Amino acid sequence: MILNRRSLMTTALTLGAMKAFPGLSYAQARPLVFATFTGSWEEAHKAVLVPAFRKANADAAIVLDPMLSVDQIAKVNAAKANPPIDVMLHDPGPALVAIGQDLAEPYPVEKSAYYKDLIAEAQEPMGPAPFFQVVGLTYNPEAIKTPPTSWADLWKPEFKGRVGITNLNSTLGTGWLVEIAKMRGGSEANVDPGFKALEELKPNLAAVAANPGALATLFQQGQIDISPGNFNAIQILKARGVPVEFVAPKEGAIAFKTTIHIVKNSPNRELAFRLIEASLSPEVQTTLMNPPYLIVPTNSKVAMGGEIARVLAKDTAELKQKFVFQDWKKINEQRSAWIERFNREIKI
Amino acid sequence: MGAAPASRDVTSYGMGLAAPLALFFLVFFVAPLLQLLWLSLHNDTAGLHWGLGQYLHFLSDPFSLSVLGSTLLLGAEVTAVCLVLGFPIAWLYQRVGPRLQTIIILIVLLPLLTSVVVRTFAWIVILGRQGIINATLQSLGIIDTPLKLLYTQFGVVIALAQVQMPLMTLPLITALGRIDPNLDDASCSLGAGSWRTFFRVVLPLSLPGVIAGCTLTYAAAITAFITQSLIGGGQMLFMPMYLYQQASTLQNWPFASAISIIFLLAVLAVVSVFTTLGRLSRGYGGA
Repeated sequence: MILNRRSLMTTALTLGAMKAFPGLSYAQARPLVFATFTGSWEEAHKAVLVPAFRKANADAAIVLDPMLSVDQIAKVNAAKANPPIDVMLHDPGPALVAIGQDLAEPYPVEKSAYYKDLIAEAQEPMGPAPFFQVVGLTYNPEAIKTPPTSWADLWKPEFKGRVGITNLNSTLGTGWLVEIAKMRGGSEANVDPGFKALEELKPNLAAVAANPGALATLFQQGQIDISPGNFNAIQILKARGVPVEFVAPKEGAIAFKTTIHIVKNSPNRELAFRLIEASLSPEVQTTLMNPPYLIVPTNSKVAMGGEIARVLAKDTAELKQKFVFQDWKKINEQRSAWIERFNREIKI
Repeated sequence: MGAAPASRDVTSYGMGLAAPLALFFLVFFVAPLLQLLWLSLHNDTAGLHWGLGQYLHFLSDPFSLSVLGSTLLLGAEVTAVCLVLGFPIAWLYQRVGPRLQTIIILIVLLPLLTSVVVRTFAWIVILGRQGIINATLQSLGIIDTPLKLLYTQFGVVIALAQVQMPLMTLPLITALGRIDPNLDDASCSLGAGSWRTFFRVVLPLSLPGVIAGCTLTYAAAITAFITQSLIGGGQMLFMPMYLYQQASTLQNWPFASAISIIFLLAVLAVVSVFTTLGRLSRGYGGA
């Protein structure tokens, strides 16, 4: 392509006009845009969900746009009338923000073939949950011979300078703090005991990672040997030969619903619905449950097996008994205050 | 030659040539900046009520001010390290043969050819508990338990200094190259020792390069989000991370806008100090 002044000017003017008159921007026939998460999620969706969707929908055009939940919200918020995304994926905290800011379309439940088969916790009329994320304890079995059993193990003196956590920017960090608070008599409305516990954890802390992804690096580098961690993230590390194991603590593993939403004003509403249907289908969920993805299914017709049955739960009944779901509506009310408090108090 | 209009002043240029760039800056730099300013002048997150509340919140909060202070201090530390390490390299460059010059310029430029993310991860490997530094010191028996290098201010300064070093070295090489080598000899023949020659002749004449290098390094160091957050970790808060937290995690755009405007003004203030020094140095160099 040859760039000259004229073509540059045309481009600049077109871009300017697109900003000024958003209605002009796209022909209606743009491909379906699915905002997934980065890393293992993107891999899983590219390999399983997207092919299943295309097969069922005559090779409809679809684009994956991997980014964090909060970035999806910012992007849709910046162009509400003509959103650049059709399907969003959210952790529980951001999901409530997106719904609160009127960015999501109600899910056409009556049209859905699979919605009624989802376990009760996954049935969300503003966007069902096709996946769970599970947070428990992750540790290096070469350095720690007796597997930990409880969140309280992180405070053991033998782990001095070996523990890693993340700050509260992530769902993982915030959800874990709430669980620590609960362990010491607090709740979603009262995390004071959690902050007190963090203060006592300081001698053991080797690192406060800026995001959950950084925790994985720290395990690889031997910088930390134990941390609260995400079940799926650990499977990826394990597959790459890093010595790391996951255990569900006896207080219960934290389960985050990952919900999937049709973006309000999407020009591709029907295709968006069909992509979400594919994600809820037993076929896709069964494939995603097997290695290497090991994603916990939410469709009750999918029988749990393999590593998930061994480490987490054999069936839906056991899953409900072992998983802890948190009240993110309550958490969101105070989250910014907690982040501010963490900024101030946690210096190691 | 004779066809050129005689009235045209040779020092004037057609402004039309600058128009495309000016338009580009107007659309993609000035307009978003004004939007940012507009957003920061709202008291609520929805952007409905006008007011200076976000600025008051920041400026009356000792914690926010300490974040700003530590960020500006970080920039100063990195700039100092780059200057102290970069100057000898630039000086050496002017005094070696062409083959060594090629090698030096390659070493200086090489970091620019690698992604910042890769370079930062390399520093995690170097500074880690079982990293190169700790492993070497332990095998030599100098230390028993690994030193804590990662997630410290020290680590952030060292990693940033390496990442930003070319921005300091290149202007210095240019500035030192402009100094006539005869001045050195003249100074020596008039009885000055090498140190005196350096401080009275070379350093003052190279000041424009020093100022340019410091400005570039400083601006790059304080805004280096990736290196700051990966080497500094989640508990060390600098302005870029503070901004990210407010804008992305909390969706508090007006406060995030106010933070960026304040950060911008603080950086402009520091840079204008550098420029003033630069203007003084030109007078000094010419004297």
